[in-house]
Amino acid sequence: MSLSIRSWAAASAHCSRRARCPKNINGAVRYLSNTSPEQVPLQTEEDWSQFQVKRAEYKSLVDHFSQYGSTQTRDSTFQPHHELNRPKAPSELALSSLMAAGAHMGHSQTLMNPNFMPYAYGVRSGITIIDLDHTLPLLRRAAKVVRATAAKGGSIVFIGTRPDLRPTVRKAAERLGSQGFHVGERWMPGTLTNKLALFGGDIVAKERIVPDLVILLNPIPNMHAIRECAYDHIPTIGIVDSNVDPRIVMYPIPANDESTRTAELVAGVLSIAGREGVMLYQEEHLQAGNDGQRQRVRQTFSS
Amino acid sequence: MNVLQQMQRVSAIVGRRTYATTFVPPASLENVARRRDSGKPLPQSPNIYTGRPSYYDQLNALETALQHTQRALRNLQLLPLPQFARDAIPPPNPVWKNKRVLAEEIAESLTVTRYRRVINLLNQLDECRRIADVAGHHSLAESLARVLQDFEPANKEAVLARGKRKPVKIDEYGRSYTIGRRKESTARVWVIPVQDKTGETSTTSVQTPEAPLEDELSAGEVENEGSKAPESLLDPVPDVPPAPVEVTTTNILINNTPLVQYFAHQADRETVVRPFKIAGLLGAFNVFAIVRGGGTTGQSGAISLGIARALVAHVPKVETILRKAKLLRRDPRMVERKKTGLAKAREAYTWVKR
Repeated sequence: MSLSIRSWAAASAHCSRRARCPKNINGAVRYLSNTSPEQVPLQTEEDWSQFQVKRAEYKSLVDHFSQYGSTQTRDSTFQPHHELNRPKAPSELALSSLMAAGAHMGHSQTLMNPNFMPYAYGVRSGITIIDLDHTLPLLRRAAKVVRATAAKGGSIVFIGTRPDLRPTVRKAAERLGSQGFHVGERWMPGTLTNKLALFGGDIVAKERIVPDLVILLNPIPNMHAIRECAYDHIPTIGIVDSNVDPRIVMYPIPANDESTRTAELVAGVLSIAGREGVMLYQEEHLQAGNDGQRQRVRQTFSS
Repeated sequence: MNVLQQMQRVSAIVGRRTYATTFVPPASLENVARRRDSGKPLPQSPNIYTGRPSYYDQLNALETALQHTQRALRNLQLLPLPQFARDAIPPPNPVWKNKRVLAEEIAESLTVTRYRRVINLLNQLDECRRIADVAGHHSLAESLARVLQDFEPANKEAVLARGKRKPVKIDEYGRSYTIGRRKESTARVWVIPVQDKTGETSTTSVQTPEAPLEDELSAGEVENEGSKAPESLLDPVPDVPPAPVEVTTTNILINNTPLVQYFAHQADRETVVRPFKIAGLLGAFNVFAIVRGGGTTGQSGAISLGIARALVAHVPKVETILRKAKLLRRDPRMVERKKTGLAKAREAYTWVKR
C-alpha cells in the first residue's frame, strides 16, 4: 500500500516538474525585433549614439526593402489611429466606410425604441441593425448644417464625455479654430441655464456664451445638455442609437453610439465640413479689424 | 441659343459645387431673428463649456507637449526603449508644486484626481527629458526642463536635500564645528588641526595606521643592510639612545577647563579620547568644547560624538573605521519615563495578595 502511494507520488512529481526554459534567450530569438542581439549596457553618450544609429540603420533597411514587398503598407492599410488623424470629407463618405466603422450595429432588439423604427433595417443576432441608407444622407445633412453655421460665424460645441472620445472632440474642435469648442469630461448641469453662476457676470456680459450648434457623440449620458439646448433654442446634432428616441436632437444621425470608430468618423466628417465653413467665413470677413474675434493658434495635427 | 448658353453656364457653375444646396424661399428670410449678442467676441478657451477652462487648457497644453516630445524621441530612435536601455536611464526624482499652490496658479479648485492627472503628465514629460538628457540631446532636454520648471516649486533643492545630513563646514582658520548629543547633554565641539612650524597641518601629514608600521619596517631593513653584523655576541652594544619622537602636545578644553580637570573619572576621559585613538590621530587635533546638560556620562558621550563627526569632516578616510567602532552613532538611549501605577519606569510596587 505504502509502496504504491510512494510510486504514484514520485510519478506525479516527475510530471509536474516544469521544463526549464533558457533564461538567456540571446541566442534563441524567435521573433524579429528591432533591437540588436548583443545588448550593450549603455553607459556613455557614445553608447547611446551607437544604439540610435543601429536602430536607424535597421529602420532604413526595412523601409528600403518594403518597396519591394507588398503594396499593403502601414500607411495604405487601416490603422486605428487613421480614423482620428485622417478624417473623411462629407463628399468622400460611403456606405462602406460606415459599415467598416461598425455604425450599423444597434442595441438589443428588446431595447429598441419604437420611434427609432424608420431608421432600423432589421434584426440579426438579437440586435437591431441600423439602416445605413438613412444614416448616410442624414450625416451629410448634418455636415451641411455644420458648414452653414460655421460659414455664418457660429460657434460649435462638440460633446463626447467618454474617455475614448476625449481626443476625438478635442481634435474636431481644433479644426474649427476659434469657432470650435469641446467638452470631453462631464457637462456641468446649468452651463447654459445658470450661466451667471458658472461663468460670472462680466464674462457673460462681454463674451458670446450661448453656442450656435451642439454636436453630441454620446447623447444618452448628456440629457442635461440636450435639455439646456432645447431651452435656449440651440440646434443639436447627435448620434442616436436604436434604444434612443431620435427626436431628442434636431438632426439625428442613426448610428452605433458605443463604437469609438463610428464616433471618430462622424466627428471627423462634421469637423471637416465645419472647417470649410470657417474658411468661407474668414474669406468673407478678410478685413477682420472690427469684429473683435481673436484668432487662436490652430494646432493642426491632421490634413 | 442664348438660353442654351446661359443654361450651360449655370450648369458649369453648379457642377463646380462639391456640396448640395437647398432652396430657401425668400419669404422665410424676411423676419429672421438676429442674435442680441452677435457683436460680442467668442470665448478664448475651447474648454469654456467644461466649467474649468484654465485647468483643461493646462492639461491640453501638457498633452500636446507630451505628444510632440514623444514624436521627436521616436524620430531619434529613442522610443520605445527596450528594458536594458531603460535601466540605463537615471532614476526619477521629481519635485512638483503641491495641489494648493497649483490650484492658486490656475485660479480653480483642484481635487486630488485632477491634480494627479497633471502630475502623471508631468512625470511622463520628465521621463522623456531624462531619456533625451542621458542620450546626449541636451537642447531637447533643456527645452523640456524649461517647460517643466513652471511646475517645480521654488524650494525644490531644499526639498530634495531633506533627510540628507548637512556637510560639516571648515572655516578659514581650519576649524570645524560639530554637535554631539548623548542622554540629556549637548556638546558643541570645535576641532582644529595642529599646525607645524612649516605651516603643514596635521591633516596633510597624517599617516594611516598601517603607514607608521611600514616606515619602521623599511627603516629597520635599511639599517640592517647598512651596518655589519657584530662579529661576536660578546661585543658591547653601542650606547646610542633612540631618536626622540616628536609628539605634539594637544589640548582638549571643555567649558574652558582642561579634560583632566573637568572629568575626574578615567572612564569619562577615555570616552572623550577614544575617537582619536581609534582613528590613529591622537596628537593631531586640538579640541574646544562647550557642553551643557546631563551628567558626566552624558557629557563625555556627547563630546565623543562631536569629536568623531569633526574627525570625519577633517579626514574623510577615517569614517569607515569610526562607523565600525560605533562612534558615529548618536546613542538613542534616554532615561525612560516613570509610568502611573509603577514605582519607576519598570519597577512595580510590591504585589499584595489582598
